[in-house]
Amino acid sequence: MVLTLIFPLLVLIIEGISASTDLFSYLWQTVLPDYISNTLILGVFVVILAILFGVISAALIVHSNIAGKAALRWLLMLPLAMPAYLVAYLYTDLFDYAGPVQRTLRLWFNWQSPNDYWFFDIRTLGGASIIIALVLFPYVYMLAKTAFELQDQNLLKASRLLGLSAKQSFFKVALPLARPAIAVAASLVLMETLADFATVQYFAVNTLTTAIYDTWLGYSDLATANALASVLMFFILLTVVTEQRARAGQAHQSNRVNKTQQIIVLSNIAQIFASGFCWLLAIAGFILPFTLLLLMAWEYSTLEQFFALIPSATNSITLAFWAAGLSVVFALIFTLFKRLGTDKRRYLPLQISSFGYAIPGTVLAMAMMSTLAPIDYMINDLAKFLGFSPPGLILSGSIFAVIFAYIVRFAAIANGTIDSGIKQIPRSIDFAPASLGANLPIMLTKIHLPLLKPSIWVAWLLVFIEAMKELPAVLLLRPFNFETLSTQIYQLISDEMLEQGALGAIFIVLLGLLPIIWLNRDKNNTSQ
Amino acid sequence: MTNILNINDLTVNLQGKTILSDVQLTLSEGDILGLVGPSGCGKTTLLNTIAGFIEQEQGQIVIANILTITPENIIAPQHRNVGMIFQDYALFPHLTVEQNICFGIDKLVKAEQQSRLNKLVKLLELTNLEQRFPHQLSGGQQQRVAIARALAPQPKLLLLDEPFSNIDARLRNELMRSMRHLLKSLNITAIFVTHNKDEVFTFADKISVMHQGSILQTGTPASVCQQPINWQVADFLQLGSWIPLKVQSSRVYQTALGEMPFLETMLEKRENNAQENQIQQLLLKPHYIEVCPTSAANVQIDHIAMTEQGYHYLCSSLTPNTEFSFEQLSYYSNELYSLGQQMALIVKTHNFVIFNKPAHVNS
Repeated sequence: MVLTLIFPLLVLIIEGISASTDLFSYLWQTVLPDYISNTLILGVFVVILAILFGVISAALIVHSNIAGKAALRWLLMLPLAMPAYLVAYLYTDLFDYAGPVQRTLRLWFNWQSPNDYWFFDIRTLGGASIIIALVLFPYVYMLAKTAFELQDQNLLKASRLLGLSAKQSFFKVALPLARPAIAVAASLVLMETLADFATVQYFAVNTLTTAIYDTWLGYSDLATANALASVLMFFILLTVVTEQRARAGQAHQSNRVNKTQQIIVLSNIAQIFASGFCWLLAIAGFILPFTLLLLMAWEYSTLEQFFALIPSATNSITLAFWAAGLSVVFALIFTLFKRLGTDKRRYLPLQISSFGYAIPGTVLAMAMMSTLAPIDYMINDLAKFLGFSPPGLILSGSIFAVIFAYIVRFAAIANGTIDSGIKQIPRSIDFAPASLGANLPIMLTKIHLPLLKPSIWVAWLLVFIEAMKELPAVLLLRPFNFETLSTQIYQLISDEMLEQGALGAIFIVLLGLLPIIWLNRDKNNTSQ
Repeated sequence: MTNILNINDLTVNLQGKTILSDVQLTLSEGDILGLVGPSGCGKTTLLNTIAGFIEQEQGQIVIANILTITPENIIAPQHRNVGMIFQDYALFPHLTVEQNICFGIDKLVKAEQQSRLNKLVKLLELTNLEQRFPHQLSGGQQQRVAIARALAPQPKLLLLDEPFSNIDARLRNELMRSMRHLLKSLNITAIFVTHNKDEVFTFADKISVMHQGSILQTGTPASVCQQPINWQVADFLQLGSWIPLKVQSSRVYQTALGEMPFLETMLEKRENNAQENQIQQLLLKPHYIEVCPTSAANVQIDHIAMTEQGYHYLCSSLTPNTEFSFEQLSYYSNELYSLGQQMALIVKTHNFVIFNKPAHVNS
């Protein structure tokens, strides 16, 4: 069963390896160097910016007496709910030549044409980096904050007693201790950046993801698209391996909950800069784009548009519903097997099935295509042979492929949530039912499943939300004329008509807020 | 009396390591056995093997003369009629006290369930707590629910894994007494694991000392303490200090505390009658030592502590690096001596317990 989940990826890797060298050398002589350098520059820029944004804000929130801490602690996480392409669209709208900012400036200073003044161009590689970093830095912020909060406070006390100031202690003790957590966060940011499709597409920056999309949907060149996908896959694997290395060294956290933090006291000027920095991040990453979206909805939305969104929303919900349900069922089977199985390699299914989270939607889509299409042909041939009418592309051309892709991609979320739920159950609970005469089915239905109910529900919800937001895989795999909320919004953005989809976009952002709220609630609970 | 448990030549391997080897154990109806031994000696593994959570490699477990469990005939835990009380109680957090207690008897008719529940609730003083959830109970109440739950299916044998380790020291004695009373009144056979020998004296009829996967000795607590079968048993139970001794020409014992007459009648136990001039170790309980003011000094005080039994001194012999030298000899006195003070100690005449313990090996 696990093998079914990763089978498409194996097919992709094998096809990538066996792709003709002619093809690669052709690509290498034409577009590949550009795509790769764009992808890498984007990745490096975003990671550097996200670390700057995330670590500084986390350090200020945990270690300093910055004003408005209670609100900022929350607000700095919210940008994660904004899809980068939405922010890209909204800011382009805002800062473009025809946008309100430049219009106002021209009015104030009486400039007549673009030649009269310089204004930054947002639709560049640099602009894309900033936008993506603005919505991804919360990963770094959250993991760094948690690392700072869970550090053994006695280490900081010891460094104070050994003669260091609070600030020196932070740089010499707290920050180095948080390095593994920051590295993990950075690799998450890098993975998301490499997977990003819609933002770079909108900004017309050519990266590997856009290239895959264009070669497949534009030129129907499956072989090239596959080759590009395997190059991207190679970079992702590199990131995953680095991340695993970083995790291996992450043993610096203490369970001792200690509220008395050694606070760095900011001077008045530093206070202004620090608050300004954090508020700017929160405003630029969430408050401003969300407000723009609300204004847009308020100004342009009609009942008609609302009804126009319903069919695609229904499609989104149907897909997400099934993907979430099936992911949870698989996760339950894998985690319970790991927990209760007697096989030596019982942890493998869980581990292998969790690998899909790293795979960009575009790559996954290509993998599905190259796996399911041949199977479809075989089914059709078989049908003809048996004298039935060929059923058509029942796997690769239906929502089956989309749901399959979702499950592969989001299995890690369901696995992680349910696995951490199962870890909360003491081992002795596995033994107690048998000592009272109960067999395995009774134990599962009366003890384990009821105890796991909260985790199951959360896992379902998280996968549901991610599936509602997912864009690139659906774009490539959806059946003809099949729209989901996110593909429709993406289409409207491409046509510069987001106004008509503003309500749908708000819905997606609000959905994205739910897991953030949930994560935060959980932290509050455990720290009590 | 019928035998409730018969274990023969039991061997268990886990991950390629032998955890239990050739374990023998017999328990009669109503026996309460305390299983002691250093951590990692296999106590919990033995319990889990009896319960059926670990499969044996070799040997036989016979429960109540009915179930015979061999490597060829493994019986699932749920069919063994063995109850278990877990160290952390393992109460089902989503079920009420009543649902927890009735978990193992839900196949019985309602009336029977109700009557057993009522009896147990009354017996374990859980009245009015039936509808509470485990997290709403105190530690002692949780333990009583765990006991009630394990007793509800009326097991032949009850296993308890360090049942008192999570309990406040002052409450512990009271709980042990009431639980012993309960098990005795129901005539339940029980094995409980502990690393605290004092618990055994309060709670058990029998004691088994385990060491490196084997049971070294089983008997009543008093007999095991008086006649430990080997030095590991004596050492684990901390029955006294060790001083080296040698028998000379079958006439005298020679030690760093002087010579003593060798009398067969004075020997409680001497391991495999050693040859002449071989160094053995004498197990010396503190109350068999006294100060002799007239003799020349033979020990020096290295450590003094204040205890309820008076001052506790740890002494070392004044002749270091000889075959008779020793350290950390315990001696109690109401008189206060000073640190580093030298004095003469002698061994009172008593029944000697002598083993071939390697001189500087701690268990």
